[in-house]
Amino acid sequence: MYVAVKGGEQAIASAHRWLADRRRGDRERAELEVAQIGDQLRLAVDRVMSEASLYDPELAALAFKQASGDLTEAVFLLRAYRTTLPRLAVSEPLDTAGMRIERRISATYKDIPGGQILGPTYDYTHRLLDFLQLAGAEVPPAETRDDVTDAEPCPQILALLNDEGLVEQAIDDGREPMDITRDPPDYPMGRAARLQMLARGDEGYLLALGYSTQRGYGRNHPFAGEIRQGQVEVEIHVEEWDETICVGEIALSECQMINQFGGSREAAPQFTRGYGLAFGHNERKTMAMALVDRALRAEELGEPISGPAQQAEFVLAHADSVDASGFVSHLKLPHYVDFQSELDLLRRLRREHAARQAELADAHEAVKPPSEES
Amino acid sequence: MDGYNFAYLDEQTKRMIRRALLKAVAIPGYQVPFGGREMPMPYGWGTGGVQLTASILGADDILKVIDQGADDTTNAVSIRHFFQRVAGVETTTATTAANVIQTRHRIPETPLRAGQILVFQVPIPEPLRFIEPSEQETRLMHALEEYGVMHVKLYEDIARYGHIATTYAYPVKVDGRYVMDPSPIPKFDNPKLDGNPALMLFGAGREKRLYAIPPHTRVESLDFEDHPFEIQSWEHACALCGSDHSYLDEVITDDHGGRMFVCSDTDYCQSRRGEVA
Amino acid sequence: MAQRERGTKERMERESMDRDAVRAVWPGLADPAHDSQRLFRQILGAMSEPGTLATLAVPAPPQTSPSDALGAALWGVVLTLCDLETRVWVAADLDSPALRQALTFHTGARITDDPASADFALLTHDAFDPEMPFALGSDTYPDRGTTLLVAVERLENDSNEARGDNNSWRLSGPGIADSRLLDIGDSPGCRRLMSRLGANRTSFPQGLDMIFGCGARLAAVPRSTRVTRADAKEVN
Repeated sequence: MYVAVKGGEQAIASAHRWLADRRRGDRERAELEVAQIGDQLRLAVDRVMSEASLYDPELAALAFKQASGDLTEAVFLLRAYRTTLPRLAVSEPLDTAGMRIERRISATYKDIPGGQILGPTYDYTHRLLDFLQLAGAEVPPAETRDDVTDAEPCPQILALLNDEGLVEQAIDDGREPMDITRDPPDYPMGRAARLQMLARGDEGYLLALGYSTQRGYGRNHPFAGEIRQGQVEVEIHVEEWDETICVGEIALSECQMINQFGGSREAAPQFTRGYGLAFGHNERKTMAMALVDRALRAEELGEPISGPAQQAEFVLAHADSVDASGFVSHLKLPHYVDFQSELDLLRRLRREHAARQAELADAHEAVKPPSEES
Repeated sequence: MDGYNFAYLDEQTKRMIRRALLKAVAIPGYQVPFGGREMPMPYGWGTGGVQLTASILGADDILKVIDQGADDTTNAVSIRHFFQRVAGVETTTATTAANVIQTRHRIPETPLRAGQILVFQVPIPEPLRFIEPSEQETRLMHALEEYGVMHVKLYEDIARYGHIATTYAYPVKVDGRYVMDPSPIPKFDNPKLDGNPALMLFGAGREKRLYAIPPHTRVESLDFEDHPFEIQSWEHACALCGSDHSYLDEVITDDHGGRMFVCSDTDYCQSRRGEVA
Repeated sequence: MAQRERGTKERMERESMDRDAVRAVWPGLADPAHDSQRLFRQILGAMSEPGTLATLAVPAPPQTSPSDALGAALWGVVLTLCDLETRVWVAADLDSPALRQALTFHTGARITDDPASADFALLTHDAFDPEMPFALGSDTYPDRGTTLLVAVERLENDSNEARGDNNSWRLSGPGIADSRLLDIGDSPGCRRLMSRLGANRTSFPQGLDMIFGCGARLAAVPRSTRVTRADAKEVN
């Protein structure tokens, strides 16, 4: 006998308890501390902060823990928290030229003013599993060179090219940029809004799209002009005092891509640029973002739109992992009413199809020459 | 709930949504862009409807939440709990007792009355989206009232199958102007949209659009003279309450092909059984 | 540093005195979250069913000229819908430093001199001129238009028969089962307002949406409404 589903409430409560138990894992082992995650899994924390668009290492680490290491879920947790926060002030534009640098490289020059600084990178590690870590071996402290950590801010390489007029200038038109966290998307979208959407776009998605441009789907001849990572001061202007004050520092990664030149009868040929910026150490994300940013400028620069990465509505509408994972996962919700509608129609169409086939067969029977019957 | 405002959203977000709702009501069937916020449930799980409900709900309201017509499906339970928790409102399963009803995929069988508000959860608000993927293009098509492609699409179905093959999210025209997606309700429910005395609000959170049908508004399902709009019908009556005029769910009862048909609207079915008993 | 602190303190004291004065004369909502919800539902009801009358329980603004014409209902609409994300245009006959101060203090709304950039416009029926360049929205974004908040002479549904004059207008369309009569007054300004609403249909979906206030009473006529003279023959 059919019993109406009444277990919904109880099922949800039980599922939550089971989930919490799984998350905690073996009680014989010490529980992970949020501070440990922030300290030892910092790249995961940085990615969560970037895609959630909230700079709070502690809460990002908490989200990562609460999500049992599911990055997409952690991003969602932190983003949902972010929307509940009041907006206390708007910062001054960040000055990445004034960054306290930890890492800074350029692929376009052998040596640069201020020097190339590799910093704490995985780049030249051999990807060999370090079995000593299984045994919990101690790691000796790194030596720090005062001349690196206390160095003066160093100029941006694209600024050096600017002096010669070789690279296009990004000029602040002084207009208030759209705020994608408050205003609904409005296509076609200006570059400021596009960069905001890319900055919190899913890293895997941007990586694939950026990669596709390198393989010919909207090629734009990129050079990694400069990649820098480090600490940048956040300043706000206090009206009451008519003064700008520093409210703290955040870690940022920035990628300035130099791309194929454009020019016209009026404008002299110049390199163009693509830009990537992310919270924390998020180099791969910023490089992919810079490639996609440049690809999305195709229309503005009069280039043919031939690759998926150049189609602004397509790229931007599907970049956000909170949007995407929500809508894909909603297929788990019951759809039986609509399914019933389809079932009903399909059965009807099949009945009608069978009837037509039967009619055809009868007609065929009727006109058959007698000789073929044998 | 401590640490959160009444009905979860902050007052400024509510005002933004309220202003957009007034424009939606003033331009029936037109999709108003709004600054949709992330909610503590995933996009696609009713965030649009939840934001609208949070913006209109008051402490004195009595709220009903249904999914697939039922009050006890998991997502309906989850959304109802959310509002009990963040707004402390009274909830009900009785359609007649509620003044705000949030729904996914159905319109209740019990006729709505003046003063009630029905809030629909909408996944893809743009009725032309599957014909034209670009938002820039569809916006222009609405502006120019250029809906020929929709009729072409429906007619292609007729050419191929002998019927219009859209069975849910069946497009309607509101007050003779805007073609609108009524959300994925079965077309069985479309006639209830026309001239309904209740206010109907539609929220699409991920797509950041909201729209409305005011009470007593003309809502026509698109069709053709030689292929008029028709709704689903069943050979069976509800196995529980005997209704021969409600939308029925097919329930598989064993693994030998046994099945029965019961009302999808659980409140309607239960109240009919109550009356009979 | 010390000097700055002193200056700031004096300014803060002065500002707090101003605030107290504004608060005393121009009341806000006692319980913002719940009061604005209740008022919004009344406004939503009025907009959904054009021409129906609602009485808003809001503390009235001061009864001093020239702002006394605004009325409690429209002040309630302002408190419910305006904030720092909205731009408000105020007609000269309602404008006063006190009103501006109250608007800024209670809502944070930006006051604009340009009707075309206003989300809301505050005016009286006398001041209404159909040529005023309010925003009507565009065909692609018809929602980006000004909502007019207009203080009118009266708000009644059935005065036509009762008084034997013919100042009523017949409303029909979305939100109205059959038709509904609305009378906002006899003045030329009131007639201009209703005629302008009658013209909305020719530019639809662009158009003006209006909320009328008279004391604590409120009614709305959005652009979707068909408006004709009540004494005119039935027109479609």
